Amino acid sequence: MTQYGMIIDLDKCVGCGACALGCKTENNTGDRAGGQTFNWADFMVTEEGRFPRATTTTLPVLCNHCSNAKCVEACPVEPKAMFKTADGITMHNDERCIGCQSCQEACPYSVLDISEGGAQYSVISFNEDGIGNFSRFESKTAVIAGGTSTGEELTRLTDAKPAHRTEYRHPDYDNVRRPDVTEKCIFCAHRVAEGKLPRCVVVCPAEARVFGDLSDANSEAARLLKANKSFRLNEKAGTQPNVHYIGSFVTRKNG
Amino acid sequence: MRLRRRDFLKTAAAVGATALTTGPRLNALAAAPITASSGESKGRWVATTCQGCTTWCPLEVFVQDGRAVKVRGNRHSKQNDGVCCPRGHLGLAQVYDPDRVKVPLKRTNPVKGRGVDPKFVPITWDVALDTIADRMMDLRRNGEAHKYLLMRGRYTYNRDVIYDAMTKIFGSPNNISHSAICAEAEKFGPYYTEGLWDYRDYDMDKCKYLLVWGCDPVSSNRMVPSAIKRLSGIVKRGTLAVVDPKSQTSALKAQEWLPIKPGEDGALAGAIAHEILVNGKWNREFVGEFVDRKNLFVPGKVVDEAAFAEVHTSGLVKWWNLELKDRTAKWASKRTGLDAGQIKRVAKGLGEAAPNVAVWLGPGACMQVRGGYASMAIHALNGLLGAVDNEGGTLDKAHIPVLKMPKLDAYLDDVAKVKHKKIDQRGTKEFPALAKGKPGGGVVTNNAARGMLDADPYDIKMAIGYMNNFTFSCTGAQRWEEAMTKLPFYVHLTTNASEMTMFADIVLPCAMTTFEKWGWVKGKQNRYAYASLLQPVIDPVFDVRTEETEIPWLIAEKLAERGFTNLLDFYRNEYKDSDTGASAKDAKDFARVVTKYYLSPIWTTEKGKGGDLVGDWDEMVARGMWNSDPYPYKKRWGKFKTETSKFEFYSATLKKALTAHAGKHKTTVDDVLETCKYTARGQLAFIPHYEEPFRSGDPKEFPLVFVDHKSRLNREGRSANTTWFQEFKKVDPGDVSWDDVLKINPLDAKKYGIGDGDMVRVTSTTGSFELKVRLWEGVRPGVVTKCYGQGHWAYGAVAATEFGKIPRGINNNEIMPAEYDRLSGSTARNGGFTGIKLEKI
Repeated sequence: MTQYGMIIDLDKCVGCGACALGCKTENNTGDRAGGQTFNWADFMVTEEGRFPRATTTTLPVLCNHCSNAKCVEACPVEPKAMFKTADGITMHNDERCIGCQSCQEACPYSVLDISEGGAQYSVISFNEDGIGNFSRFESKTAVIAGGTSTGEELTRLTDAKPAHRTEYRHPDYDNVRRPDVTEKCIFCAHRVAEGKLPRCVVVCPAEARVFGDLSDANSEAARLLKANKSFRLNEKAGTQPNVHYIGSFVTRKNG
Repeated sequence: MRLRRRDFLKTAAAVGATALTTGPRLNALAAAPITASSGESKGRWVATTCQGCTTWCPLEVFVQDGRAVKVRGNRHSKQNDGVCCPRGHLGLAQVYDPDRVKVPLKRTNPVKGRGVDPKFVPITWDVALDTIADRMMDLRRNGEAHKYLLMRGRYTYNRDVIYDAMTKIFGSPNNISHSAICAEAEKFGPYYTEGLWDYRDYDMDKCKYLLVWGCDPVSSNRMVPSAIKRLSGIVKRGTLAVVDPKSQTSALKAQEWLPIKPGEDGALAGAIAHEILVNGKWNREFVGEFVDRKNLFVPGKVVDEAAFAEVHTSGLVKWWNLELKDRTAKWASKRTGLDAGQIKRVAKGLGEAAPNVAVWLGPGACMQVRGGYASMAIHALNGLLGAVDNEGGTLDKAHIPVLKMPKLDAYLDDVAKVKHKKIDQRGTKEFPALAKGKPGGGVVTNNAARGMLDADPYDIKMAIGYMNNFTFSCTGAQRWEEAMTKLPFYVHLTTNASEMTMFADIVLPCAMTTFEKWGWVKGKQNRYAYASLLQPVIDPVFDVRTEETEIPWLIAEKLAERGFTNLLDFYRNEYKDSDTGASAKDAKDFARVVTKYYLSPIWTTEKGKGGDLVGDWDEMVARGMWNSDPYPYKKRWGKFKTETSKFEFYSATLKKALTAHAGKHKTTVDDVLETCKYTARGQLAFIPHYEEPFRSGDPKEFPLVFVDHKSRLNREGRSANTTWFQEFKKVDPGDVSWDDVLKINPLDAKKYGIGDGDMVRVTSTTGSFELKVRLWEGVRPGVVTKCYGQGHWAYGAVAATEFGKIPRGINNNEIMPAEYDRLSGSTARNGGFTGIKLEKI
């Protein structure tokens, strides 16, 4: 059985941000609002040690597409809105979602409100009606009246919200999610279905991300996993993530 | 409210089947129907170029229904291999910035100043252009054409049309580029050692030891995607060492971090050179050998010049005798704050891996007062190690077959032929600006504000600025606010209402680079030089024009209507479609014709020579770029463009330039150096040497050193109005998203009783500012650092806390005073020359 997963090589990753931005432009995710990040790809920054041995690690994070997905377990609707596909993607069906946020609450990599409790990221965001994640493209106020544009005008002129909206189709999710559903990384299933790689993989200038079938011993992803020491986030939660990290973001040993 | 709704739904779901059917039905009302099929909707990738930094990456933009939706590197690019850095993606948020200027504007409030509402009102293009042309004709009529100033910011090589041709034919010497605010000191060292007034390319694929100095190549500095891709390879196969007072990403990836005291770079360079020589690790093939093969470089001992036979270099023994013989690691350790053992280890590592090594000279090492000599000292290491034009070393760029600007001479009338001095005071005794060996040959961008304020050499009556924002981007930014307040008539060509726009009398909305305009650039990365074009991948969102071509054409038409036809004649007669021979039909067509003209040798006269074979213009537009063949190793050995044709450790080239400058002012080189704030006298003036760092502010009053650095998300100060820049600001080590923080070492914080997140008053010689503090172990104690890019008080609703009034954070350029490396004309910036004091509020 296929189990899609991702290997992120931290030796190669420089924490530049291209994956997160590539994701935003592919999946048309909104801006941070109402305690939700809407960053399907994000970063967790860890600082350790003291000068001159101090280090800063910028760890790229995304949905772990867990084999034992707590979000799926928690989804109360039937058939489940959050579910595992045959190829191991933790998928979200927008139509069935009732917006209860049980998935968000259950996921060990998500928080209900990013502005509370000090979490750095949340895999799942909740697109509550009127939350304002596209307020940049809705604002009616010009910084110079009559001289500069407004979000509302830009949306009208481009006939799209966001204006850079990438149009694609998928049976389970919309390229811009409707209000009152949760949303998260779906491994760009609409791309994978066409034989393309997830956008965060192809936009990575360091070639640090490898996507593939972890159950296929011949896949590059599986080979990398076998050949390298690796770790996953929050192993103790028992979710069996399918995003694995190899290498080390920091090389420096000496001062 | 939200939580209550969630709890209700959960409870309802738990009750049973009724709730389960209610849920979906309830939401289905709001849902757009989800189609059964899967995949990307129709669209096409269109080639263009990124201008988010000066790497200038060839790009492609995915266009759906006339909208730009995604960005990637150009598939044909041998520089970025089809993948761009984060800046490429950020461009989308700029072209679709809701705060863009959408129509021409006229100021109705005659009072100018920061925080003053200009009371802009919309006007037509025709009225705007008439107003501009009338002012220009007035100047010509009054014999004051030279009092017209053109300020250039971000450009493409179509710049000639507005920057050179328009200014010169109109009759002014004042075309002032932005170059010296971020670069020229970095070019100074390579020029006065190996005759290269340019950035270097670095052969990262073959490099075995990379010493990065004063920059973070995976964040900025001119070959970003190439460096991101290749940095880990160097760490794997060899050694990466980084010299920087703060730990940015390269320093985290490096095996060696040398957290140097700011401004002491010349001391470290001298010690590394000393160690290399004493231990006999110089590259024999490039540098040469002692005649009797015995190493006479003994610490403290003078060497007979005749004892060493140089090959491709000149002046090694002079350099040793005058400077290096006493520059021990122990001596440098005291100056730099680095461990002497580490200095020796790095020198040894470089020597052992030579010549497949590179010393990557960045702006932090030399964009400071007296930085020109640090620039020379650091780059000279490449000469010593035989790394210049060598495998794994530092390279020039291959030939790019493009045309030059057509000759102007026939279009210069009597007004235009009169010689006047330039407003930036270049070439005066205080500002040698020795670009390419010529006294006054380079621009002193930031000093134009002083020229304008002092009306020295004369007053400026009218200025046009394009894609520049000197009131934000120049150190001592407050002086620019004063200069702009004093300027009687200013026309700003811009995409956003930036800080400089707020001083404008006329605002002309411009096409967004990458997405909406024609243009072209030259570049190099990874041994391949290239020409890459920019084209309108979408129809402009607003009523905008291209600043470099369309707008000067429109102005030329208006000047012609008023009887001055030379400019329009030049544009019509000299820029012709290279296929049809036809002149441009109109302004819009002119933008395309000019681009086509410059690039034409690629598919006509030099078709296939030295690089990609491009069949015709259509193919050029489709592929967007031309790659050179790989740069040949050792290409310039024996024929460097220096006075001696050698790599000069004793710069005969600098001696000639400095002597000429002194002669022009009927004085001595020593007097020039004193005037320009350098400490060197005598022969030291002509060799790479150590100069004590210059600090603005008495260290007793201003005990900490402020260091400016760059953001990997900065698009030359223009991306702060995007939510994506703010959201992911945390990818700059030590920074905080949606904020602007002063990063200080906890040891210093303790001294001042400051905690993480506290507000402090920062005082430099320019003024006092309130900022939030972030405690960060990644910065050397005694140094405080802040990323450039925030502190906008205009630009848009995201960049500023309150547009026109309250900045988001503080612009670093208000904290740092206007100072210069006067030999290069460079503005002092990243090097850490500003003393500050901190007080907890």
